[in-house]
Amino acid sequence: MQRAVLDLGLTSRAPLGQIVRIASLAQRSSVHGVWIGEDLGWSSDVFIKAGVIAMNAPSKNVGIGITSPLVRNLSAISGAAATLSELAPARFRLGLGVGGLQDLARLEIPVGNPVALLSDSVDVLRRIWAGETLTIKGENFDLWQFAARYRLGSRVPIYLGVRGPKLLRLAGRIGDGVILSGPLGYLEKAMKIVRAQTNPSRSRVTTVVWVPTMIVRTRADWKLARSVAATVIGDTPPEVLEMADISMDGVAQVQRKTKEGNYAAASKLVTRRIVNNFTISGDVRKVVQDFRLLEKLGADEIVFGPPYGSSEIRSIQEVVREWERV
Amino acid sequence: MGTRLTFGLGVNVNESLDSLVKKSVAAEDVGLKYLWIGDSPAQLYAPVAASAIASRTSRIRIGLGLMSVLLHSPRHIAAAMSTLFEAYGDRFDLCIGVGDLRQLKRVGVRAEMIGSLPSRVLEAKHLVESNLTDLGARVKIWLGAQGPRMLAIGKAFTGVLLNYSNPEMIRWAISELAPHRKDMPTIGAYSPSYVHINPRLEVLQLAKLSSAVVALGAPAAVLKRFGLYEKLRHPQELADKHPTIETFLAEVPDEIVKHFSITMKAENLPSHLAELSGLGVRHIVFGYPQGFSVETVRELAHALNLAA
Repeated sequence: MQRAVLDLGLTSRAPLGQIVRIASLAQRSSVHGVWIGEDLGWSSDVFIKAGVIAMNAPSKNVGIGITSPLVRNLSAISGAAATLSELAPARFRLGLGVGGLQDLARLEIPVGNPVALLSDSVDVLRRIWAGETLTIKGENFDLWQFAARYRLGSRVPIYLGVRGPKLLRLAGRIGDGVILSGPLGYLEKAMKIVRAQTNPSRSRVTTVVWVPTMIVRTRADWKLARSVAATVIGDTPPEVLEMADISMDGVAQVQRKTKEGNYAAASKLVTRRIVNNFTISGDVRKVVQDFRLLEKLGADEIVFGPPYGSSEIRSIQEVVREWERV
Repeated sequence: MGTRLTFGLGVNVNESLDSLVKKSVAAEDVGLKYLWIGDSPAQLYAPVAASAIASRTSRIRIGLGLMSVLLHSPRHIAAAMSTLFEAYGDRFDLCIGVGDLRQLKRVGVRAEMIGSLPSRVLEAKHLVESNLTDLGARVKIWLGAQGPRMLAIGKAFTGVLLNYSNPEMIRWAISELAPHRKDMPTIGAYSPSYVHINPRLEVLQLAKLSSAVVALGAPAAVLKRFGLYEKLRHPQELADKHPTIETFLAEVPDEIVKHFSITMKAENLPSHLAELSGLGVRHIVFGYPQGFSVETVRELAHALNLAA
């Protein structure tokens, strides 16, 4: 069995102070890297924040997990990734995905054909970075004699943040990595689908598992865990729930409330079983045991946090120590 | 005169980040007040470059732009500015506008599908401003303008950055902007520049190239008014066919350097600045290739000391 590595996770809505604190802690610890996800509906620039992480954790990997070609012109994503790869040579990874269903609905952005969108995006990005002059007129992109003026000093691996079977197969075929999230039963099947697609002539697709994780010490932590689980359920597509093979008792009611936008009511319906299915929560030992289980299933990288728990620094230090010990 | 003008350096985001940071530090060291970081679809991402530069400098004000509101959504522009403000404090200005339509067309942004461009820019300005206010970020917003339609909305902005440096063109732009000089926004001129002590042929050539980029992206109304439309018609056709101007630069008349750039000997700069100041210009940005090297940045500083 291949040993997995531990990463830390953040989202772009995190205040700069927290980002600097966690990046600096990552630099001083044995963690492999830091991932930052883009909160599509929030006014915060994920690329600048990834750059701040790169500057504060100069020997760690930095990844964006994920940004969406539906919300930005692909030339901006390409240029931003090139800039970050200069700030963090051979350490930067770009995560691409369609985006959270609820965020896209709020922004009134139609999804269309996600397989074609991601497949075309990966192809176009790699060709821009290879220095090609591109003319493409397709459903997703319209480029005319476009050539980037920058050159990549180091290769930028593309990780696809995907959920459903078609997109998982695509990630196995074309991704350098895949970022997975969901209940344990789903993750096991998702990893198998990705691996089944991997062409032996290509290098192995790195599997990153990023499930909302927190150390529960207080009643407030528990309340937060229920609220996080409700949010996750609201964003989980039906095919993921189907693949997860979990009891749907109570899940449908939670989902109904999140669709109405009533997250307070939704989180009140979340039980301990539901929290355990949709998040990794508990004391330090239980969280690290769950991480090791993901490692056994084939995860190469496991992302801890957010929301970490009420004392994030203490939670990170304790989890890293326990991870090294077990 | 020296006290009435502020000076900035425009940096070229085609270069490596290391080189950008090195020249930005040099610009701060020689006492320039502003750095402007341009944004174009084929270049590095300006907000991340701004962040890297801000982390290595402490006093110099950093202008981001021109950020095209056709390429970036107002929400993303506001997000970039508020994140920079959160990280480095009140050190940033923003310049928005339409941008180079030929470059935008290359990445699928078709201005002809958009309707009224001035309305789009104004709407974006209000959205960016209200987002920034909600986020508690204080950012001065400039309009990047050349033609009469954009100049007509200039009064809604704190400042207007004109993309040329010829006094005759600036006089005309100011008359379009505020015929009675009432409620005049701050006027800035941001143009390709090469103020030199020991001129280098390679940099003079780059000054022509940068001037050609601006001239070929200029609105037809401006080119017609200043007798350049016919002279640039053939190069415009070539620009529609070729991915880079370098391949047909010889076809672009040399006089565009005079219209669209500040390319001159250091000893001639004081009188040029005095003339621009007399017209009401308050901010001058010396664009690429002035930032070609640390040495060319120092040559500019030397010339500005002459002007002070």
